[in-house]
Formats: sequence, C-alpha cells, structure tokens
Amino acid sequence: MDENDMIDEEEYEFSRNYFLAKESGKSVKKSSAHKVSELNLADEQELRAEVSNIEPRHEKEIALLINSYKKLYNEWVFELRYGFGILMYGFGSKKTLIEDFASTALTEYNVIVVNGYLQSINLKQVATAMAEVLWDQLKMQLRSASGGTSRDQQPFNSRSMDDLIAFLDEPHKTENECLVCLVIHNIDGPGLRDSDTQHLLARIAACSHVRIVASIDHVNAPLLWDKKMVHVQFNWCWHHVPTFAPYKIEGVFHPLILAHGGTSQSVKTASIVLQSLTPNAQSVFKVLAEHQLAHPDEEGTCLTFSVFKIHHVLGDIWYD
Amino acid sequence: MAVCSGSLIRVGKVPFPFYVLHKASDCQQRVKKPVGRSSRKVKVNLSASLATSDEGEMQDDQLHENSRMKNFHNAWVKIESTIKDVLHNINADVFNEVDSWVHKSFDSICSNGKPDANKATCAYPIVTDVTAKQIFTALVVMNNMEFVDDLQTFADLGTHLQSHGCHVANLSSVDFSVKSGIGGCLRSLLRQILSSSIDVADISVLASWYIEHDNYKHPVVVIIEDMDRCSGPVLSDFILMLSEWVIKIPVILILGVATTLDASKSILTSKAVQHLSPSKFFLGSPADRLDAIIKAVLVKPCSGFLVGHKVAGFIRNCFLRQDGTLTSLVRAVKMALVQHFLMEPLSFAVNGLLDEESEESTSVAEAWPKQAFDLPSCSRRLSEPKSEVALDGPSKMIEVMNLWSCVVLCLHEAGKKQKTTLLDLYYEALDPKLYNLRHSDHLELKPDSQRPSWIQGINGTSSKMQKGGLIGQTTRQVRDLSPAALLQLVEKWSKQTDGFIEIHEKVKELQLQEKIEDDTLKELANRSRRQTIRNSGNLDRSTKTLNDKAAALISCMTRDHMQPIECIPFHEIVCFKNVDKLQAALCGDPRRRIQLDLLECHNFLKCSCCGKSSNAPSSSMHDTTLMYTLAQEHGDLINLHDWYQSFRAIIFQKTVKERHRMKVSPSPKKRKMTAEPQNITEASVQARFCRAVTELQITGLLRMPSKRRPDFVQRVAFGL
Repeated sequence: MDENDMIDEEEYEFSRNYFLAKESGKSVKKSSAHKVSELNLADEQELRAEVSNIEPRHEKEIALLINSYKKLYNEWVFELRYGFGILMYGFGSKKTLIEDFASTALTEYNVIVVNGYLQSINLKQVATAMAEVLWDQLKMQLRSASGGTSRDQQPFNSRSMDDLIAFLDEPHKTENECLVCLVIHNIDGPGLRDSDTQHLLARIAACSHVRIVASIDHVNAPLLWDKKMVHVQFNWCWHHVPTFAPYKIEGVFHPLILAHGGTSQSVKTASIVLQSLTPNAQSVFKVLAEHQLAHPDEEGTCLTFSVFKIHHVLGDIWYD
Repeated sequence: MAVCSGSLIRVGKVPFPFYVLHKASDCQQRVKKPVGRSSRKVKVNLSASLATSDEGEMQDDQLHENSRMKNFHNAWVKIESTIKDVLHNINADVFNEVDSWVHKSFDSICSNGKPDANKATCAYPIVTDVTAKQIFTALVVMNNMEFVDDLQTFADLGTHLQSHGCHVANLSSVDFSVKSGIGGCLRSLLRQILSSSIDVADISVLASWYIEHDNYKHPVVVIIEDMDRCSGPVLSDFILMLSEWVIKIPVILILGVATTLDASKSILTSKAVQHLSPSKFFLGSPADRLDAIIKAVLVKPCSGFLVGHKVAGFIRNCFLRQDGTLTSLVRAVKMALVQHFLMEPLSFAVNGLLDEESEESTSVAEAWPKQAFDLPSCSRRLSEPKSEVALDGPSKMIEVMNLWSCVVLCLHEAGKKQKTTLLDLYYEALDPKLYNLRHSDHLELKPDSQRPSWIQGINGTSSKMQKGGLIGQTTRQVRDLSPAALLQLVEKWSKQTDGFIEIHEKVKELQLQEKIEDDTLKELANRSRRQTIRNSGNLDRSTKTLNDKAAALISCMTRDHMQPIECIPFHEIVCFKNVDKLQAALCGDPRRRIQLDLLECHNFLKCSCCGKSSNAPSSSMHDTTLMYTLAQEHGDLINLHDWYQSFRAIIFQKTVKERHRMKVSPSPKKRKMTAEPQNITEASVQARFCRAVTELQITGLLRMPSKRRPDFVQRVAFGL
C-alpha cells in the first residue's frame, strides 16, 4: 500500500539522518576541540543583566500571531465543555495566550492556574483550592435555590487527596453546571514531570467538575502518559499554537550555558536544599529574599538582618 | 492564596506555584438550565465564518448555532447510548455467568457457618483448616493486551453485581502500588464498601461493618481490573490478609487478566496463590466488540452523523497500526463529531436526520436549506449535463444510506466465514472512487450483454473492482460456499434486507430457487445409490449455478445500492471529511511540529525582515530558530564554541552589510535603520546565545553538556 511505503520511507529517512549525524559528529569532534573557555566570556552578572535586557524582536509579528488564535477560543470552549482537555503545543511561550483565553473565554468557570515550570508544586494544595472554589460556587447555587443556608463541610485542607478527588467528582445537584478549569502552564515542567504527579493530575482531570487546559513544550512530553491517561482521563484535544514568544519566566530557572559552571551548580544545589525544606520554612526564605530584592539599596545583607527586622518582616507568617 | 481576575499575581519576581485566576462569573449563576446536564444553553459563538451585517440574518445565525449545538448533543447522546447498549449486550452472558458463580461461591462459604456477632468481636479469627482459608477467585480473561478498553467493562460488571445484591469495590493497579502499600488498597476498599472516608486502614472495621444490619447476607466482591499491572508483593499481602479473614468476611475476588491465565502465578507469591480457588471466565474478543460498535455506530446511521472515506481510513489505521483500542476509536468518533458541528455551518439542518425513531415523526425536514445548494456536492451534480437532476431531500438521503448499510452488512455476512472484519469492509464500502469505477465498468459492459442486469457484475471480465479489494474477494467467496452455508447466508440476507423491497425481492427469488434445488436433492437422496452417482454431476452443476447467482446478486447489490455517502448530494451537511483536522486534534505530533516551527518560522511570523523564500540563516531571524538552523549543520554533538562563533558571525554579518549599504545609499532613512545593529555588544550576543540554548533545552531538542563533555551539547532529534 502507498501509505505503508510512505511510513517505510519515513523510517528509512529517520535512521539515515541519525547515522549521518553520528558520522558527522565524529568528524566534527575530531576537527573541533575548541573549548568554551577560549571565548571571551562576559562576567556572569553582566550576562544575566544582558539576558534580562535582550531587546524583543518580531514583537509585532508575535503579537499578531497570538492574536490570530483568538478566533479559536470558541472552539476551545466548546471542546472543553464536552469533556475534552485542551493541550497546546508549539514553539514559544504560551503563557500569555492561555491566560488571555482563560480570562476572556472561561469567565463562566472557576479558573485555577498552575505554573508547572516551577520546581516544586504541591498538588494537594492545588486540589484543596479547587475544592474550595467549587464549594463556594455550589454553596451560592444551593443558597439561591433553597433560599436558606447550605450544609457545612469539613474544611478541605484537612482532607485527604482521595477525599478531595471524590468531592470534585461527585455529582452535585445544582441548577447549573459548576466547573473548575485547571490551567497548567508546562504540564511537562520540572515540578510535574514525575509519574506519580502525572497520575494524580490525570485523576483530577477525569473528575466530573474539572476541565483542564495545559501546555507542553518538550518534544517528548507525550511519553509521560499511558493510554488510560490520554484517552480516558485527560482526553486531550491537541492544538498546535506556536507563538515564538520568549520563554522568559519558564527559562528563569535554567542556568545560562555560557555562565561559569560553578555558579550554575550552586544555584542547582541551593534549589535542591530549598526543595527539601518544609513549606513554612520555604515561605520564610521567600519572604526574606523578596524583602531583600525589594530593598536593594538598604544597607546590610541577609546576614546582618537584625532580629527585630526579621520579626517585623515575618510577623504575618508567624501570627497568621 | 491570592485571588484576582485576569492578571498574573507575583510577589516580587517569584511567581506563585498556583493561584486562582478568577471565580465563576455571577452571570452564569443566573442562566437557567433547560434540560439535562449538557443541554444547557451553550453560549458558544461559532459564527466567525458567518459574519453578517443584517440583524435578521444575525438572529438566524444565532438560531442555527443553537441548533448545531443541540444537534451535536443529540447525536453524541445517541452514539453514546448505542455504544453502551452494544457493550451491554456483548457482556451480558459473561456478567450473568459471573453473577451466578459469585452467589454459588458465597453459598459455599456460608455453608461453613455464617458470620455472627461472636465471631466478629473475636480479635482475630481462628482458622486452622487451610481449605477454609481459600478465596473464591474469578480470573476474567480480557483477551486484550490493552486494559484501557476493559476499564468500563469492569465498572459495568461492578454495577451489575451491585444490582444483584453484592457489596462491590472496584480497585485498580494504582491502589496496589509499592508506594501506597497494603494500606493504600485497604483504604480504597473500605472507602468504597463503607461509602465513607476512613483514615485507618484496618480490616477489622470492615468485619464489624459486615455483621451490622443485613450486610452479612450478601457477599463482598473485590474487583481488581488490571492484575498484570499491580505490584506483586502488595497484592500477595492483600490476598494473604483476606484469606485470614475469609470466614468473617466472605470476600470473593474478581481479577482481570490480560491474556494468560498464568498471570497470577507469575505475579503473586506461591503462598498467596495457594489461597486462591480460581475459576475462569472469558470476555468477548476485542474484534467482536469492534465489529459490533462499527455496525451500530458507523454502518447503521444511528445519529445523523457519518464520516467520509478518508476519515474512516484514518480511524481504521489508528486502530490497526497505532492503538488497537476501542476507546481510541470511540474518542476519534467523538472528536470527528465535535469538529463537524464546529466547522460545518449547515449542520444545523441535521435535525432528526437518519434517526430511526424520527422516521415516523415530522421532525425530518422535507427540504434542505437554500444555502445547501451552494455545497460542492450539489453544484457538481447540477453541472453534470446528462444526469437527471436528482437533488432529493433529506428523506431520500436516509433511504440511500439505509440501502448502503444494508448491502455492507450483507457483504459482512458473506465474508464472516473468511473472518473479514467489518472495519475493513466499511472502509472500502465508503470509497467513492470504487463506487464510480464499479459504475463505469457497468456502463461499459451494458451493451454487450443480454443477461439480466444483476448477473452482469460477476461475469464482467474487465471489472477492475473484481480483481482486488475486499468487496471483490467477498463476492468471489460466495461462489465457493457449500450448499448448506449458502442456504444460511441467503437466509441471513433475507433478514437483513427486510424492508428494502428492491433487494429483498431478489433475495426471495434466490431463496425460492434454493428451495427447489433442496427439494431436488431430497428427491435424489430417496432414489437408488447408483442413480445418485450418475446424477451427482448434474447436482454439482446446479449448486454451482446457485452459488453464481448468489454471487451475482451480492455483486449487483454492491453496484446498484451501495452508494457511499460522499456520492450523495448535500452529504457535507452530515458527513465529516476533514481528516487533517481530526488527525491534528487527536494525535499531536510535538516532536515533528516543534522542529518544523523552528525550521520554518517564517511561515508563522511572516515578517518582512527575514528572507521569504529560503530559510538560510540571517541575523534578522528569531534567535532560537537561527540557532536551531545552525545546529542542523552539526552532528549529534555540537561544539559550543563553534556554534557560538557561527551564531555571532551571523549576528554581526548584518552590521557589515548594512554599513556597506549605508555607504552606498544616500537615503537618511536607511542610515537610521542601520544604527541599531552597531550597538551590538559581545555580551549581548552571548546573552542571546544563552537564552536561545535555554529555549532549545526547554523544548527538549538539546541535551546539556555533561561533565565528560563540558564543551558540547548533544542533539536529540534527527530528522523530522
């Protein structure tokens, strides 16, 4: 059959390319033994400053391209409504596009955004937030329907993940469809990439009150899911929406390749140490760092922070 | 947690891992829901392609959009319920078998003594007899490597057993993971049986619950849908634990196994296997299920929605080559349905069409809307000079489609002996080219023959259709059938064609002839053996003629009545043909598409600064696309130094060019334009290089330098 031939041809082409690349790789390696250190590299701080000041290019075209997807919003809403999950892929940051879609076309839904490009994401907290917004909506509907007060619920943050999923999935008798839309930037991001998290996300996505909109950037992202997840739980509807917008926020946590190895290693090490802390300790560090960033001109570094000052800055966290 | 509407919340420069973007708007609370969950007023505006200025027309459009959404909903509900019914019928026998086995097993356990309060209050049941620790276990063989299709089957089995009085818990391999351990599966079991949240994973809770009220009168059934994927040690522990408690809680296990009955032996410890008292049950084969669903959903037009030949081919290929699951096939049908009602503005006219129940009602419109006359299938028919202008209404379309499906099912009956799958037959029967070919062959043959038209097809030597193809093969197979098989087949045809006068009469005629032959055969059998031998040659000949006639009949049916949907005027209204759209929505291809985005960036950005025709590297290109284009010149390893140098050279290249142009051009405008690149510093180029590498790293197209090779990055993708 013609189609078979085409597939064979493609496979042949693929393996040929691979071996050619391997071959040329060897020859290049032989001839080119240049080292990065031979380059006249800028100081890391200067490099970082330059990275944050890179002049945007093709801005107009990128804006036009992102704008051109607006006409698809209605289709996406329709697909979401009828049980499909929207999965966006293509080169470029899709953060602006998805958030614009969620803010303009999904106003009827509760929308929760997860930044999957961050290193650590607590899905239990996400599920709790989802249950809370759903409960708020249900309460309002039940109140308006019965005219009285609705029954009380056990606080969601003390519930187990299974309970939260059961709540998001259980049928609630309401006048309108109550849905929570989970928007996940980079569902294939470092914080969500492991198998357990993906299974948990898939279980959440399969709940009757949940709809999911996600983006992927990695070419091998589909390998994260098995057939049950793809066909039954996420039920993806794929949309190819390249934006060519810079991965500004998504790339923040990647070390710069031309920066000295030592620093990137220390950033990595610091992030591992940070991840191992309890959420409360993490937030303490966060507040301290934010305070420092917000007051760059103030004298003294973190080390010379007075006890009084720390007390003042962290007061909200400790006494809340 | 921060709550805001529309804008990104960040504290300083660190974004929150998650936040509530907004809550459901109040306006939604006020929208009244009409009937059912999905039939609520769908506030989706699909009129982008139908922009009109006139207010009246806009109102019409709005009405049409609502009709489209309503039609979509009705069609999907119909398809969904049809699939449910089909699967229910297929599984009904096995389910009943399992149910009676469960009750027999329960009785057998109870014959050793019913659980009572005394036993339950005992800290631990004292069981000394090993045979009393046996757990009745049903091994349900799915005959399927892919368990995804059987998830629903086990859920249905659970519901079936529940409706017959059992306490049922449906567990899956997720509950039997090493991470969650025995506590995880026990918690899940308790949650389902006790219907409440239990924090303590303690089987004695279940034992206490079991003796309460009338609970002990019914068995506890634990269904594990995909045993092959469970963690062996956890499942073994679970079984050992249940076996200790089996007197108190008569648990009956139902284990789904993929293909082999030995699975339990290979997964479980021998100690656990000893406690199982297995029985075997077999679910219907995936091929049978596939045929039944194809027949009910796609061949018999149950929902007013059909797919074209190419789409059918895509669905078939997905099934045969990639996935092999019914779930993905049903998903593809749903996706096609969604895309059709989204894309086809005239799909509002589908209302009630092809719906068997609506045949008697008046809901089928008598004529197509006037816009439909602009459809290609209609205008093509109108432009044909010789054809009688047969632009019939929806009822005619229903008639033609029913005839088509009748012939396809007759062909399927004929091909069953040779294990012809309905999916293949369906795909070929939808081919408009084959249909046209059959017709042109028929027209070529017509003047030469004096035989009745319905015999022509089979004897037409030049018929291209007969040479190959499944339909041709199936037709030929009819000639080789034994008399008994032929008799059976014609009987099935007779049932199948009931209601289609034009075919049914011919089938009846054939049946009559068969009857005469049969009588002759009986008569011959009564005569002496010698005579029989003498006449057997005549008998063979007459049977052969009968086979020929049957083959000719099916051939004639194929030629005259199997008109594919794409050959019918106005088919665009009900038929989805956009295979590219369906493919793109169902199976994204990030590996290929992301690379293409990078290599053909100009197709998307359409900027004036970069070269339109070629993708040759230039400084105006998007940095990452430029870098990826440059990476193509390297092998699997890219020397960072070289890569940077070539990137840098291209970035500075323009500066030289522009300088040259500035010298040549006296225009002050051009001079102004060139001012920018001169500001490029080495550090800024390095920064751009770094960001481009980071972006390529995010896409997964690059592997970062390792300790062993600190000056090289590795390419991951080779070719598209």
